[in-house]
Amino acid sequence: MPDDAAIALHGLVRGYGRRAVLKGLDLEVSQGKVVALFGANGAGKTTLLRLLATRLRPSGGRALVFGHDVVTSGHEVRRRIATLAVFGGAYATLTAREHLRLDAALRDTPNDDEAFTALLGRVGLADAADALVRTYSSGMRKRLGLARLLAADADLWLLDEPHAALDHDGQDLLDALVAEARGRATTVLMATHERDRSRRLADASLVLDDGRLRLLDPGESP
Amino acid sequence: MNDLLAVLWVARKDLLHETRSKATTVATLFFSAVTLVVLAFAIGQDESLLRGAATGALWVALAFAGVISAAQSYQADLEDGAFDHLLTTPVPRAAVYVGKLLANWLFMLLLGLLMLPVTFVLYGAAWPTAWPWLLATLALGTLGFALIAVFYAGLTANLRARESLLPVLMFPIVVPILLASVRASGALVGSDDLALAQGWLRLLVGFDLVYAVLCTAIYHFVVEE
Amino acid sequence: MMDASERLRRPAWLRAWGVALVPLFLAAAYLGLVWSPQDVNQGNLIRIMYAHVSVAWIGFVAVGLTALFGALFLWRGKRRDDVLAVASGEMALLFSALTIIGGMTYSRPTLNTFWTWDAKLTLTALMVALLVGYFIVRALIDDPVRRGRVSAVVAIIVAASLPFNYLAAEWFRTLHPSRAIALDGSGVTMAPEMLFTLLFNTVVAGLVYAWFMVDRARLGRIEAQLEAERAERELGSVPSGGVVRV
Repeated sequence: MPDDAAIALHGLVRGYGRRAVLKGLDLEVSQGKVVALFGANGAGKTTLLRLLATRLRPSGGRALVFGHDVVTSGHEVRRRIATLAVFGGAYATLTAREHLRLDAALRDTPNDDEAFTALLGRVGLADAADALVRTYSSGMRKRLGLARLLAADADLWLLDEPHAALDHDGQDLLDALVAEARGRATTVLMATHERDRSRRLADASLVLDDGRLRLLDPGESP
Repeated sequence: MNDLLAVLWVARKDLLHETRSKATTVATLFFSAVTLVVLAFAIGQDESLLRGAATGALWVALAFAGVISAAQSYQADLEDGAFDHLLTTPVPRAAVYVGKLLANWLFMLLLGLLMLPVTFVLYGAAWPTAWPWLLATLALGTLGFALIAVFYAGLTANLRARESLLPVLMFPIVVPILLASVRASGALVGSDDLALAQGWLRLLVGFDLVYAVLCTAIYHFVVEE
Repeated sequence: MMDASERLRRPAWLRAWGVALVPLFLAAAYLGLVWSPQDVNQGNLIRIMYAHVSVAWIGFVAVGLTALFGALFLWRGKRRDDVLAVASGEMALLFSALTIIGGMTYSRPTLNTFWTWDAKLTLTALMVALLVGYFIVRALIDDPVRRGRVSAVVAIIVAASLPFNYLAAEWFRTLHPSRAIALDGSGVTMAPEMLFTLLFNTVVAGLVYAWFMVDRARLGRIEAQLEAERAERELGSVPSGGVVRV
């Protein structure tokens, strides 16, 4: 088991009550790979992402992020990751800029207002930077999520349906950001239903089916 | 130092939520005033009865409003998975707890300061000479209440039946806080008995210290899933 | 896999312990009801006190142990610690309910009312409320690990509140924060026969508590085992595809 794998799963099991969702996953993702994760609704994609983000505890087996166990070294894991929640994960009563400042305080990174302005411009929120998120559309919330993702400067991105809610330009922007991330050797794991875009972006595609992971062949449809 | 910044930002986002969702905040403030009025009606016309019940009514009104405001602070967190997202950052869980505690405590303090004059007018009680001690009681009592409210509201936020569960879980725990606060302020308002009030204040200090340490230490078990 | 009836059978030592409790219980009742002298002030009513106070003491110990096993579960994550915590919690609830019934029996003839705001009785009533909260939380969580961890947190908070609740209840009654903690609160010197009877009753109550707790924990472990086996079967139905490397 090389310690430098971005993600390593060993017999990972997670259930809710009596229902097992992940029934023993064994996976190794090396650093700098972009991986698309397919699977039907309820297949366990979000469960896996939340496990890797230390938000869920495994019922059995282990999950390691850059060699750190998500249960025993949660803090080390959280220093290396950034997440994009399916609905953006923003507070309705804060502005976009305040989210970036909040994140900077939580992550202990510099509070650089000019950089924040540039970042919000990059994701197309320049005009809405100081408006409350509750006035945002769902696509704008997703764009704010992208800005926070970039600001985090993380080594592993965990994206939950990143294309959903974004307009065509937004999806192009997302694809460009992921391609840039690969250039910086950032590892990306994205749960998605967006076949064409995701497969174009990804180095490899995985399918979660009946609680198990399997690799998707290049020609196969998910 | 950096954790302190995180604490202040968590508190700040909760307080910004309070000030920017004015309708909810005003409703909570008004709710305690209404409680005071209703309790006064229930007690009746007898002036000495009313005067004796003043501090009890005040703390009942604060307790009800405190439960609501603690639950609401997590309501905002749960929308769109914002709290979940916040917890994927490397912020210490203790800092999140202390930040939310700070916001909730400040809100309850403000509520208490607003309700004090209302109580004195409605219940015909006399302003005590040792009023700084009354403010100390208010500060220590609301702190103890907020310690438990923020902790248990986090615990119930992810459970079914959270609206009724929160008071069921927390009221038996805060009985000493309510008793000590009512008795201490009663001793000050009714009889200007400073020594008696200080005896109860010691209980408040002890409670606050024990639970401040305990809740901060085990809060991370509350927010994990 | 063991046969079901084999699995459910009590081990010999537990059966022997259970059988031994019968004469011990009778002896405790004899000491309290017949052997010990009448009280100067309360006459025969003092006899209720032996059962009442011993049950109350053990009830408090049971709450403390629930929190302790909960803390162990948080620390080591062994399922058996959670099983012990529940077993102890259930006994704590039973013993506090018995304490309240005993207290009401005691205060009706002495004080001519079923309920007094006596510190110990008030405290026990609060304890029942706290324990009910503990079990409501348990009932609301399906996942066994999360159920154990969240309820352990509740148990710790509950146990820490008991000294404060006691002090507040004590001071509330006397209206004055003065007295230090006196465990049984009577503070009166007892005749040696009375003291012996009380201690004997307490030891027997403790043994009864421990027996039921151990037996309940035994059933809890079987439950947990069956649950684990069921989970295993479900997982076993899908063949492992080997490690996926990307």
